[in-house]
Amino acid sequence: MKILVPCKRVPDPDQKLRLNADATDIDGSAVTYILNPFDAIAVEEALRIRETAHPEAEIIAVSIAPAEGETDLRTALAMGADRALLIEHEGQIDPWNVARILAAVIHQEKPALILMGKQAVDDDANQVGQFLAAQLGWPQATFVSKIEFTTDGLRIHRETDIGIEIIHVTLPAVVTADLRLNEPRYASLPSILKAKKKPTEHSTPAKLGIKPEPRIRLLGMELIDSQRTCEKVTTATDLLDRLRESEVIE
Amino acid sequence: MLSVQQAGKGCGEVLASAHWVKHLADMSKNTSDVIIIGGGVAGLSTAMQLAMRGTSVTVLEREQIGNGSTGRAAGLLGQLRGTTEHTRMLMDGVEIVKELEAKAGVEIYVQTGSVRVAETPDRAQEITDLVEMGHSINFDIDHIAIDELTERMPYMHTDDLTDACWCPTDGHLQPAELAAAYHKVGRDHHVRYENSCPVTGVILDGNKAVGVQTPRGEFHAPVIVNAAGPWSHLVASLTDTTLPAAALGHVYLTTQPHPDHPVDRLSPGFRNRHHRIYGRPENGGLLVGMYGEDCPVHDMSILPADFDMSAMKVRRDDINLALLIHAAQQRFPWLNERTPMHITTGIMTFTPDGLPFCGQLPDHEGLYYCTGFSGHGIVQSPAIGLIMSELILDGKSTYDIDSIEADRYWDIPGFLDREEIQQRCYTMQGSYYGRIEGKTANVKQKDT
Amino acid sequence: MNKVLVLLEHDGTTLRPSSGSAIGFARELSDEVTALLLGEDLGAIAAEAAKYAPVLTADHESLSQNVADRWAHVITEVARSQNAELIVATSTTWAKDIVGRSAGLLGGAMASDVTDHEITDGQLRLRRPMFAGAVNATLILEGSPKIITVCPSAYNAPKPADIPFLIETLSVDASTLPSATRFESLDCKKGARPDVTEAHIVVSGGRAFKNAEDFEKYVGGLADQLGAATGSSRALVDAGITPNSLQVGQTGKIVAPELYLALGISGAVQHLAGMKNSRVIAAINQDPDAPIFEFADYGLVGDVYKEVPRLIEELNGS
Repeated sequence: MKILVPCKRVPDPDQKLRLNADATDIDGSAVTYILNPFDAIAVEEALRIRETAHPEAEIIAVSIAPAEGETDLRTALAMGADRALLIEHEGQIDPWNVARILAAVIHQEKPALILMGKQAVDDDANQVGQFLAAQLGWPQATFVSKIEFTTDGLRIHRETDIGIEIIHVTLPAVVTADLRLNEPRYASLPSILKAKKKPTEHSTPAKLGIKPEPRIRLLGMELIDSQRTCEKVTTATDLLDRLRESEVIE
Repeated sequence: MLSVQQAGKGCGEVLASAHWVKHLADMSKNTSDVIIIGGGVAGLSTAMQLAMRGTSVTVLEREQIGNGSTGRAAGLLGQLRGTTEHTRMLMDGVEIVKELEAKAGVEIYVQTGSVRVAETPDRAQEITDLVEMGHSINFDIDHIAIDELTERMPYMHTDDLTDACWCPTDGHLQPAELAAAYHKVGRDHHVRYENSCPVTGVILDGNKAVGVQTPRGEFHAPVIVNAAGPWSHLVASLTDTTLPAAALGHVYLTTQPHPDHPVDRLSPGFRNRHHRIYGRPENGGLLVGMYGEDCPVHDMSILPADFDMSAMKVRRDDINLALLIHAAQQRFPWLNERTPMHITTGIMTFTPDGLPFCGQLPDHEGLYYCTGFSGHGIVQSPAIGLIMSELILDGKSTYDIDSIEADRYWDIPGFLDREEIQQRCYTMQGSYYGRIEGKTANVKQKDT
Repeated sequence: MNKVLVLLEHDGTTLRPSSGSAIGFARELSDEVTALLLGEDLGAIAAEAAKYAPVLTADHESLSQNVADRWAHVITEVARSQNAELIVATSTTWAKDIVGRSAGLLGGAMASDVTDHEITDGQLRLRRPMFAGAVNATLILEGSPKIITVCPSAYNAPKPADIPFLIETLSVDASTLPSATRFESLDCKKGARPDVTEAHIVVSGGRAFKNAEDFEKYVGGLADQLGAATGSSRALVDAGITPNSLQVGQTGKIVAPELYLALGISGAVQHLAGMKNSRVIAAINQDPDAPIFEFADYGLVGDVYKEVPRLIEELNGS
């Protein structure tokens, strides 16, 4: 069984961000990158599937990133993935085109399961999994908090804002991981040493026959001012009024 | 003639500009008796002690008070150190902390006691020597039977241990509470604190320090204290001074409470030198850190002025983290890369001998150093603050501070070049647990 | 301007109130707004929706549950047959799942969680948060149709019309619907609090609370009024008053909600590290010099045991 895990390289969301000169993107020079936390959860789940239901599973981690992105992709190898594939691409790329590139990889690799994070913590789009499933014509299971294998496919728990939904999907399927699916492991020493022997294959969108057709044009970004000045209020009523004015409560 | 030293390539992207001192009328509101650069425990403790003696103090913090190394520290207190004077400083520090607890109404000192364990003859000898040394100064320490140790710490693997010692008066200081207490008592004594205020230049009158430059304008004082932690050597370079300190990375883990291996809040702190690990209880789980053979060396000059140390992370496949987990697992077999845990990483300020720099250097008057705590800043800060206040106000200290004098490496070849300094500090970090300590083996290296 | 198709979310009985935001946004852009409802036995819901726009219903037992591949298939067909240029929904987990897939079938020109818009030089410019709310991005979508989901609080529903709009029933050919997904059950978690790392509002308690009962009564009580998650400082975890899972801070959880309410928390740096990226921080503390006030947007100096019941009462009343 082949499991494909798309892994996105993202700026660490906890650090202070700076914008580039024309405010169209984050200033990449000052940024630490990490493996998207939700994708780390997906990698972990693939590892657990291999440890329990499918010992024969081959886990392939795929990234679309500049050449330097190989380091973060290799985190998946160090955790235990078998192969890594880096589709080299510089600059921004929107979910539609990410899905197109991944679909091309999937046509080559023919995995039975795509396991990925529900969203990336940079653009917070939460679209690629759904676009990919649509392009492939595969069923999707999003915001997944539990996966079980059945005779027909997968039995899935989904976290929705009204409750936990249980659905069944046949394979092949696209599954997007939510926070509570698991707690990802760190790379153990033996696993890191083993990963040194695992190669990263390189490709490009062009080699996959994909020419990006942008659907999103970013005009600009602005940082939300994080310097706070505390306004003191004297009653609970006043506090609620201020919070309503800030539109954080109704 | 007054001059401002250029920031040069120090302090990241904030640039200083040379200019003349402004009119005296502007100066008075930013004038105090002492300026302290750095709002970590070292600077806060010093500020508090000075203020308690009626000194007007301004603390200038580049980002946020207590959010540098102080905010990342584990705070382990092992009072019995290499010399009796150091031990005395640490024990006096505990008394200062107890007073602080009363004033600030918070628990800082958690007296869990501590153990050291040994599984090889060398390490067992270390323990024997330590117990003997402790007894000679009436410090409360003794050997402890492995059975008893196992009872106290059922979550620890003890089958391979040959000896252990127990110090009931050790424990840890809670860093955030300690910093908050210094801050509060300091405020009660009118210390002025400025956050988001990096120092970009030092104003000199000849070779005398008279003030500093910041993005908020100038601050003036006849005494300036460099308590800038990992940034200390960059602050020193503002006056073209070479400070033999280096910024080294460190990491520790804190496990979530484990259902099968509960760790009581008052379980002892521990040191297992053979595996290079230390730790203590934290939040129902276990905190374990390591002084490994290797650690990252940080170039502080490329960091932005508002660098947030609390946002530092390690990669999931960081090799030093993997080594830490591997080492921790030798002593706590239930702990592995899949144990739910939180990873804390930060930057320490190391010196070539692991001891801090306290006092002045020959090249300038009025410029004091209070830095280089090499992983022991939290627990040394109470006494160090007192020592700094004595040096500044009385010109001398009631403690014997020969070993921590700021000028002990002054002008000595091998301690002048940044590469050399970094290498020596890096070696010191690696030798913390690597070397065999004790009376018979002062500089004997551990055979690995 | 454009033909807009608004997808309305419902729970089988009524429209979800958040749907109002989608209608409000659609109306600001166009007079040609049509609402689309999918499900089974949609009569009452359609009547409700018809107060705001003409309604199309895809009413069939095969659509009785919002199964993504089935619903997206129908939505896509309707969007094409209606020549919709713009498809709008309110951004909820339902929309992300189903409207997301629909967008994937319709060419992928999608922007989600939109909070604001403007029309400049004939371009529709959209504003949405990125980097967990640290950044606001302005973008335009290229291609047609454009699919936009808006934040529930970003737009207001228009006033209901005096005369309801027309309701049209679409025919559904169940045999053409995908069958790779099967619904089993939905467990509505009324009463369960959201996860502290994902909640829009976190109500957090500190040292001021003396025991677990008080924590649940005051912090929990206020959280429930706001549909919020509860959090705690390390002091309470140490004292055994709250579980480790609630701890916000350096060795606990890092959270960045829309609103962080710090009740009886002093604001030690270690706690701040866990919540300082919250969009709005409000604090109640007895000590006027508590460090938390330096990091809050709003501060109330007072006893939480007095102020929190007042907050709860007022929220209850409204």
